[in-house]
Amino acid sequence: MNPKNNLIIALVIAGIIAMSYNIDANPAEFVKGIPNLAIVLKEMTEVEPNLFGTAFWSMLETIEMAFIGTVVGVTIALPLSMLAARNLNSKFVYVPLRGILAAARTFPSILWAILFVIMVGLGTFAGVLAIIMYTVGFIAKLQYESIEAVDSDPVEAVNSIGVSKWQLIRHVIIPESAPHLLSQILYMFDYNVRQTSILGLVGAGGIGFYIINYIKFFEYGKAAVFMLVVLITVLIIDFVSVKIRDKYIVKAQKGMEVKI
Amino acid sequence: MSFNKLAKQLLPTHFFSNLSTISTKTLIQMNNVWASYDAKNYSLKEITLSIERGTNYAIVGQSGSGKSTLLKLINGMMIPSKGQIKVDYQTPNINNKEFKRAMSKIGYIPQSLGLVKNITVLENVLIGSLPRIGKLNSLLKKFPESEIQEAEKIIKLVGLGGKSERKTYMLSGGEKRRVAIARALMQKPILLLADEIVSELDQVTAREIMDLVADAQQRLNLTAVMVHHDMHLALEYANRVAVIKEGQKILEIGIEGDKIIDFQSGNMSQQEIMELYNSNEP
Repeated sequence: MNPKNNLIIALVIAGIIAMSYNIDANPAEFVKGIPNLAIVLKEMTEVEPNLFGTAFWSMLETIEMAFIGTVVGVTIALPLSMLAARNLNSKFVYVPLRGILAAARTFPSILWAILFVIMVGLGTFAGVLAIIMYTVGFIAKLQYESIEAVDSDPVEAVNSIGVSKWQLIRHVIIPESAPHLLSQILYMFDYNVRQTSILGLVGAGGIGFYIINYIKFFEYGKAAVFMLVVLITVLIIDFVSVKIRDKYIVKAQKGMEVKI
Repeated sequence: MSFNKLAKQLLPTHFFSNLSTISTKTLIQMNNVWASYDAKNYSLKEITLSIERGTNYAIVGQSGSGKSTLLKLINGMMIPSKGQIKVDYQTPNINNKEFKRAMSKIGYIPQSLGLVKNITVLENVLIGSLPRIGKLNSLLKKFPESEIQEAEKIIKLVGLGGKSERKTYMLSGGEKRRVAIARALMQKPILLLADEIVSELDQVTAREIMDLVADAQQRLNLTAVMVHHDMHLALEYANRVAVIKEGQKILEIGIEGDKIIDFQSGNMSQQEIMELYNSNEP
């Protein structure tokens, strides 16, 4: 390793120490707090199995919220991504639109949830609106990037037939950028389920509402039931999306026949 | 009074001087055409040629000689810096609405083929019919039954019968070329432009594809302009060959049976042509 690299490593370590001091991050406090964690963990093992029913139904509600949010969000995002792609529009269209989409993405869904709780009141609807908002910003960005990455050869060849812009989009751009879409939607749903699980923190419905309330009242045993259900659900969704990805996306990339 | 007579009275006579040289037999006329990509270096210089309807025309040259540029000028994807081009009496320009309509009758197959790889063979071929389909139906991907039947017929004709539902990325190189030819034929073209579409294929497959184009060209009485770097292929299939070197046309020959006629010096042998072609290699 050369001296220049050593210097960089030393600077990074010095930086971390200085910053930790600045934000009051003291490792000694962590060590001192370990017995507290033990108390919480012990209480968490005292789960109340009769709450599993409630946990299951509230998880179902959370999944429903994430599902509606993802589907509606993707539906809104797709036409917007066509308008935000640089290779299809003038800059007077895509520049302002990209600004709006960036704003939708900048705030995490929990901040959107606070805004919608103020707008439409407490409950799941505010949560769904927050998920839609974030999904639109995120999927539109991923999609306009895949549209811009579409191979220019078929675009040029089909353009030379004398087709209209919308025919070109429908018959070349969409089919060429679509394979990425399935993977993006799966990822977004997975992400939205995890996000929706914490939206209850601000009163926007879902399983997070129970978790935050039980933690507030130091009922870790009850909170643990709900957290366990979230963990199991996320693992199941992860497993299913890996299967779907293997079946439809990996095979398509390998050039094997895919039946959808 | 007809429009033409009226226009002749209103416009200066020199406006028509170039047009008057085009006979009804001529489909493509280029007069002293220069073209460049960067305004400094010309990739084509002083190109004058005329291609008659129904000809199987070959443009031969080494890579970088400007032969692909020539095709882009003919289908209006590129505008010449100087000189005049007429294709079926119109000036090619993709941004011109009137010429855009004419483009639907020009089948252009680029070297990359330009196929949409994630859709089926049938869907790719149907793209050739898009200019004839109404806006709403084409957005809904609803093609009239007659167009679907026509596409299936053409798919069979190019030797892909039974593969119309196959995804395009699954096909071999030769099969992909057949799809590109089928898409061009689906346009019901009067002119077929093909840019080195057999250069990456093995000898046998290349000849199969060339036979297919020659057959379609004769059967449908098309004008075909094909770019090659293999002179043997050009001499075998074309009835007229232009040789391009460093952006300039250095030779134009006609082929009638076994006879090769140089339009400047009379008869030439194939060996003489090959010697001339090879001596001009950079």
